[in-house]
Amino acid sequence: MTTGTIGRIVDFVLSPHIFAPLIYPGLLAATLVLLTLIWAERKMTAKVQLRYGPLYVLKPLGGAIQLIADAIKFMFQEPIMPRNADKWVFALAPVAMMAFTIIPFAFIPAAPGFVGVDVEYSLPLVLSLSALIPPLILATSWAANNKFTLLGGVREAFMMVAYEVSLFIAAFAVASYYGTLSLSKIVEAQSVPGIILNPIAAGVFFVTMLMTASKLPYDIVEGEQEIVAGPFTEYSGILYMLVMGASYMELYVLSLVFVELFLGGWKPVIPALASIHPAFEGISLFIKAYLVLLFAVFLRSVYARYRLDQALEIGWKKLFPLALLSVIWSLALLLVAGGA
Amino acid sequence: MAEDVYKPGNLLTSLKRHAAAIATGLRYLLSTKRMTVRYPEFLIDLGEGYRGMIRWRRERCISCGLCAQICPAAAMKMYKLPGEKKMFPGINYQRCIFCGFCVDVCPAFALEHTPVHDLSYEELDEMIYIPERFDTEWVSPALKEGARPVKVVFDEEVGLRHEPK
Repeated sequence: MTTGTIGRIVDFVLSPHIFAPLIYPGLLAATLVLLTLIWAERKMTAKVQLRYGPLYVLKPLGGAIQLIADAIKFMFQEPIMPRNADKWVFALAPVAMMAFTIIPFAFIPAAPGFVGVDVEYSLPLVLSLSALIPPLILATSWAANNKFTLLGGVREAFMMVAYEVSLFIAAFAVASYYGTLSLSKIVEAQSVPGIILNPIAAGVFFVTMLMTASKLPYDIVEGEQEIVAGPFTEYSGILYMLVMGASYMELYVLSLVFVELFLGGWKPVIPALASIHPAFEGISLFIKAYLVLLFAVFLRSVYARYRLDQALEIGWKKLFPLALLSVIWSLALLLVAGGA
Repeated sequence: MAEDVYKPGNLLTSLKRHAAAIATGLRYLLSTKRMTVRYPEFLIDLGEGYRGMIRWRRERCISCGLCAQICPAAAMKMYKLPGEKKMFPGINYQRCIFCGFCVDVCPAFALEHTPVHDLSYEELDEMIYIPERFDTEWVSPALKEGARPVKVVFDEEVGLRHEPK
């Protein structure tokens, strides 16, 4: 009887409804990405700048568990609540931000036929869930009642309208070519990677992805050297960990979407892995997404931060027309090829 | 490249420039050059003339008090020792700016700079050196724990190189 119960529990955990949001590509894989990616970012930036980066925490592996040490530090740090802050919004907005970055994992297909909740409109659903984060950033910046957070919040409001439009149009350019809004159907229909079919949409999506996650050269909202930490100035301890983690999680979600739209998703599939668990077929999706993430954070060491007006100009005058052009490109391809 | 002055280009030229910038970054990423001194294991040998912690020799001191008078940060003060008629200088490293006026003004060469600069204190009171504690040899804590001294060499390629001394 016990084996039956345990078997049922194991089956329950291994079923896509639980496995996808909790283990892969969800919470567990995302935590792993978070811990290794920030370390890799610091190491790569240090390498480019002729430094070592984190080194002394577990020295044989080059300080690989530095982020675990940091996480423990944040855990035990005193979370300070500013006296004049709107306390409920201040405390709950980071939690909601983290939640809205985790919910998309239920809708992102991780392997052929392996998705937590299979919906026909997973692409707009995932993108609009991540579009719910900027209003929360605005809420934190208002709730903290501080001039730096308010400046950061205003910057976020400006940036948000500049990038969201291009992000959605670039994604829908791909969707319109394949004639479906479901991520899994887009991956199945991709015989040629989308980046070759529609490089303009890929470029626009990648740049707006950096803007969405406010990574350099578009970390205008946080702008460490200008406005302390932007909307997150007043956060400390575990709440700070949540707001910082949320931006990396958002980058991870969007890079998964990027790989599924433009880099062929989980293809090539290794069938031998499917016998262990169907989710393991998505290993090439994970590797590609991780490489995209590494490239995205590597750009930190190449570029300097754009000013707000420059970024807005890029968003409205360059990316927006390019996004519209990518839709026209897709439609032209459809006319030439006569459907995917 | 010949074009030293930045000229805004069209979409294609700016794409080329972005690619060039990323390629430069990747080249640095793959190179093995480093400029960092791994401090607790290696210590830059600063040599004579570095204005670090100040060494006071009691046997040379003539208790003139010039060092306490000239100190612009009021770090140096004269202390009365029990059983002594003369007063002797003590230093407060909370205030010291390492300007070296006291060393320059000392007529008896009782004060001198040492290259030791990497001390740290757990309590503020430890930073005040009354004459009894002031007359000691300074030792770098890194050197005491076996740091290898290195010397800085200018290098055409990397910028700075550190060679074992």
